[in-house]
Amino acid sequence: MSNSTREKDALTGIRERFANLGTVKTTVITTIAVAVLVGGAIRLLFPDTRAGTFVAAFDVGFAESTLRIAVPLVFAGIGGIFAEKSGVINIGLEGLLIISAFTAVAVTHLLSGGSNASQSTLWIGLFGGVLASTLLAIVFAIIVIEFKADQIIAGIAVWLVGLGLGPFLSIVIWGSVNSSSITTMDTVTIPGLAAIPILGPILFDASPIVLLMLATIVLAWYALNHTSFGRWIEASGENPSSLDTAGVDVHRVRYVGVILSGVLSGLGGAGLVVGRAGRFIGSGQTMINGDGFIAITTYLFGNYNPIGTAGAGLLFAGLEALQIRLQQIPFIPAPTELIRLVPYVSVIIVLAFVGYTRMPSAAGEHYESGEE
Amino acid sequence: MSESRYPAPVRRFLRFFVGNSVVERILISIAALITAVLVSSAIVLVAGYLSGEAYNPIEIFAVLVNGAFGSPFALDSAQLFTDGWSPINFSMGTTLKETTLLIFTGLAVAIAFRGDLFNIGVQGQMVVGALAAALSLVWVAPLFPASLAGTLLIIPFGLLVGAIVGGIYGAIPGALKAYFDANEVITTIMLNTIATGVAFFLVSTYFADPTLQSVKTRPIPDFARINGIIFSEGGQFSLVALVLALAAAVGTYYVLRYTSYGYDLRISGKQAPAALYGGANAERMVVSTMTLSGALGGIAGAMWSMMVIGAWRTGVPSLGFDGITVSVLAGNNPIGVIPASLLFGVLKGGSNAINFQLGVPPELVAVLRGMIILFIAMPEAFRMLGNWIGIKPEPAATAGGDSGE
Repeated sequence: MSNSTREKDALTGIRERFANLGTVKTTVITTIAVAVLVGGAIRLLFPDTRAGTFVAAFDVGFAESTLRIAVPLVFAGIGGIFAEKSGVINIGLEGLLIISAFTAVAVTHLLSGGSNASQSTLWIGLFGGVLASTLLAIVFAIIVIEFKADQIIAGIAVWLVGLGLGPFLSIVIWGSVNSSSITTMDTVTIPGLAAIPILGPILFDASPIVLLMLATIVLAWYALNHTSFGRWIEASGENPSSLDTAGVDVHRVRYVGVILSGVLSGLGGAGLVVGRAGRFIGSGQTMINGDGFIAITTYLFGNYNPIGTAGAGLLFAGLEALQIRLQQIPFIPAPTELIRLVPYVSVIIVLAFVGYTRMPSAAGEHYESGEE
Repeated sequence: MSESRYPAPVRRFLRFFVGNSVVERILISIAALITAVLVSSAIVLVAGYLSGEAYNPIEIFAVLVNGAFGSPFALDSAQLFTDGWSPINFSMGTTLKETTLLIFTGLAVAIAFRGDLFNIGVQGQMVVGALAAALSLVWVAPLFPASLAGTLLIIPFGLLVGAIVGGIYGAIPGALKAYFDANEVITTIMLNTIATGVAFFLVSTYFADPTLQSVKTRPIPDFARINGIIFSEGGQFSLVALVLALAAAVGTYYVLRYTSYGYDLRISGKQAPAALYGGANAERMVVSTMTLSGALGGIAGAMWSMMVIGAWRTGVPSLGFDGITVSVLAGNNPIGVIPASLLFGVLKGGSNAINFQLGVPPELVAVLRGMIILFIAMPEAFRMLGNWIGIKPEPAATAGGDSGE
């Protein structure tokens, strides 16, 4: 007995150290700052050594690919915040990303034949993807809000529906689980600003999807923290009966929360294909390959704050961009198959440290107005 | 909506169904299944229309079910039965092979569900169990006599290795859940990807069969494989394996229903505070439930290596995900897993027939897999439907059958 108590004490100690989010934030920021300084020094002092080559991997191209890889993670993560804060855990973000990625390519392909799609057709494709994801999110919302389904099981169902439909319909359309290629969106270049060193090419010569993502982060942060809608979302997940007493329909707020998660995940999945990938890949776990679940981890890491969530999304995207870079450096000792797994292992480590994240107290529970 | 619009015998008949929670669950499963088939049919119709193919859903499902049993019915001609059909045929073997493996993965998911844990990682546990069983059999086979006695010794050994390694791999997310509150849905999904990646790396770098180009281990010696005797044609299925699967289902039922361990497991799932009060160690319960679940997944993997492939190779089929649907369809009841696996085995066994005969992608089964869970997740919808057509449940009867509230 005493042994297990001691075990517990040790664990509580570890957890308390990390429970203070301020500590985590400071640690992360300090680590990044130190890494940038040390990296810069190595690059200047030892440009031709292995360390120098390694550091040189972190260039403007690295930052750009991090931002592009972050698109599905950040959109789905922020979408997940709206759903979960309103009291509905949407574990099916992965399914929403898959269905929107597939639909965006399918719509573009059916409208234009794919490889010569005009820019406006790509925007219609993006809209189609968002629409598909939103419709699936509405079905999910009806099932959990109206029919009181278990949120986790219904979320798993949404994932499996996406995982089934995407590849199946790809075969129907293209005869293979992978689609044919479509063109991708041109980058938006702001003259003048794009000439700024480092920041210019990253932010002012970027894919419109990346710019949309940056705008979404700010808008979501504002909506959640500075509008009455944000307070309703919060109350709907923390104390739904008080919201009810205040005369706001809890079910309606939750519908909006879940539908927003559908719209944003749709932008993530469709944005991924029209912005960067240019095709749908349906083999194995599809091209989304766990991004929806990593997105859930990002908002737990970011403690339901869109800015923290986006930071966590960029962190995981950075790991992914790094592993792609590392595969091109010849002297890295670890084999590429294992380096590829680094983002997945880090998700588990992060989850173990942020497991304490306090969920909205009514999340996962059905709310019945009037308490019969 | 009173019942009086129906004659008395109909009323009695309807009330029998509504008053019984087991029957209610079965009815809900059937209703969800039918809805899933209808919705999938609509999607197939629209998709076929958009891509210029005229699919006929009724024909698809008729060919699917017929094909799963090796086409006993002659659907195209005037006569009813196919000449010379025998129940022992290749398609039947495939269907029963899938059923056998699905019973194990379905039980793995069900046992975790009973403890209120979502083990989405059965796929990964299967992958590591399959690899461990294949490698250990390749290594130890020279130590055993290549005879019947050797077979009787080495096959349980292979299954045990699969169970242990799968169990350990299942214990990881269990411990992360119990001691670090890490959401097991996400950790198990990450561990699936990690299992596939690490297994691919190990086999391609260290354990590949040097005579082959593909990522595949050296073959398991024939006497250490689970070989089909009756279904020798096409191989890949042994009745012995099916009997083991049925025994596992009955055994799991017994453990959950009649042992104190099973009692603690179920209570931890339903009433965590009550379980704590009763003296159960909640953390240890979570870890042991996930270990048991992972062990069943590992056995499924070992069976796949030893019966289906005769080695380990990349591209382990997604039976772990199918197990989620099987378990949900069975209401997480170990005995219910048997018919649910058979049903899903029929879908998988018949998927080749729709591909060859009608050109419909066999991935249709993966669509059904998701749809079935989606509709089963909303029993309330079917209860409302029941109310609407005039069968009201007895208030006392639903109290036990309903989850939550």
